[in-house]
Amino acid sequence: MKGKAEIHEFVRELLTASGDDGPLTDDDSLLLSGRLQSIDAVEIVVFLEENFGIDFAQIGFDRDEIDSIDLIFALTQATASAN
Amino acid sequence: MAPQMDSPKSMSQRLAEFRLIPRIETFPWAVSFAQTWWGRAIILALFGLGLCVFYPSPFLALFVTLIIAFMTFMPEYRHLLLAVTPIVLVVLQSFKDPLHLSLNLSVIALGSVLYWCAMRWPKSHFGQRPVAYLLVGFTALILSACAAAPHTLAYSILWDLVGLMAVYIWFIAYALADRSSKPARDLPMELATFRPLWGSSNTPFPKGAAYLRRIEAQNQEQLAIVQLKGLKLLAWAILLFLFSNLWYRFFHGYLHIPMPDDALAMSVRGTPVAWHLCWESQILAYFELVLSVSIFGHYLIATCRMAGFNALRNTYRPLSSATLMEFFNRFYYYFKELLVDFFFFPTFLRYWKKHRRVRTVFATFAAVVFGNSFYHFTRDWHFIQSDGLLKSIVTYDVSIVYNVVLATGLSISQLRKRGPRHAGFLRGRLLPSIGVCFFYTIVLVFGSASRVFSIMETLRYLASMFFIHF
Repeated sequence: MKGKAEIHEFVRELLTASGDDGPLTDDDSLLLSGRLQSIDAVEIVVFLEENFGIDFAQIGFDRDEIDSIDLIFALTQATASAN
Repeated sequence: MAPQMDSPKSMSQRLAEFRLIPRIETFPWAVSFAQTWWGRAIILALFGLGLCVFYPSPFLALFVTLIIAFMTFMPEYRHLLLAVTPIVLVVLQSFKDPLHLSLNLSVIALGSVLYWCAMRWPKSHFGQRPVAYLLVGFTALILSACAAAPHTLAYSILWDLVGLMAVYIWFIAYALADRSSKPARDLPMELATFRPLWGSSNTPFPKGAAYLRRIEAQNQEQLAIVQLKGLKLLAWAILLFLFSNLWYRFFHGYLHIPMPDDALAMSVRGTPVAWHLCWESQILAYFELVLSVSIFGHYLIATCRMAGFNALRNTYRPLSSATLMEFFNRFYYYFKELLVDFFFFPTFLRYWKKHRRVRTVFATFAAVVFGNSFYHFTRDWHFIQSDGLLKSIVTYDVSIVYNVVLATGLSISQLRKRGPRHAGFLRGRLLPSIGVCFFYTIVLVFGSASRVFSIMETLRYLASMFFIHF
């Protein structure tokens, strides 16, 4: 099971690839603020599917639930406890 | 001492950070002033004056500004005012035509009922895929209208309904998509987003009620900041509008460069314009499209911000885009979001999950070819009414080619491995931007919405731009 540090590192990579080297805290808005785009949301979805076994087709997909590192981590925890 | 040379990176950064209009929302004195009674009044007055540039009537600008003034001074009534105003506007605009008015109100009521049903029965088949039901229902309505005998009351009512549904469908779709949003849902906010106070195209600006709730100013300081940003954006829209007028006068009035449809029409008539004029016309069309979308998106989002919602801009530095996907994202953000929300993600999350590349391409084609086609084909419903369903599908072929070429470009753009940008201005910004401009210049040859030209005529015109004649 991977944790918040891995999520933070992954998001950091996405931001760097978008040319965003600004500070990143765990509660920073990622999608709503425009720092990350839809294509990055796709990357996060695949990352969560592959690393945390989350099936969004089953649980429903809401981009708000992956808007910050804290929210992404909470989603992985909720999915793990549901399983 | 020799003068220090700017490194390419710092020049590039300076260019990116340059602001024609200063970032007044970051000046503490401006934010403080914007929270005072006088500050608010001055901002509202300036905004109302600026809005007159874009509104057909100064009275409408005054009406919208007055509503925003009420929301500014009495934010506790913001949601109520937002919910009631669109309905009042509908009544004011069509009270002389009771049938149209009642149909319009019926469509709003239908949207509310569908939203309530999706909330009430979330586990039902409809509750799980309400947007799919909505789109299928709209298609059935169009087919019914096509089947109705002309010059009958049923014909008039059905086509009136088709027109109204075409206007409201994506607003209702966002309301249905909001059914599972957090925090609490409320019908008045959903109603507020059905053709909101600040206006919109058929694409909801800025998305649905769930999004609005999250970007709403929560206190006086946030409201002051977002209103300063709104005023600034409106000023930018006015500057672009003035620039656009000069642009058209210079290029089309003074230099007589034809509009793309005119150049294509002359090619079809056998009296083609010079090859360089074709290129100039198409390249200008690219910049003119960016200008027009920027202007109308800016004044809509500016009004939305003045109402207290810190929405992202619809168009944000599109000419700095280094990839096709980046341009698609920066050029018409809320339309791209619509395609992503209702077509890309539902497909991406369900199909080809074991094959990453196929999955991305399939979802992109679902959004750009199917979604984009559905959006524009139904938006231009009057072609279906006047030409009949079959002919209107046949004459849509050029747009289908446009969508397929666009989807192919966007798929490749997404599949290419992303890495850090080149630091230099030339390789990092200029050349990629020229590449994006070249692609969209070519794609726009297929972008005519008039449906006058066949696919062969359009292809011949495109080939002639590369000195190929057939």
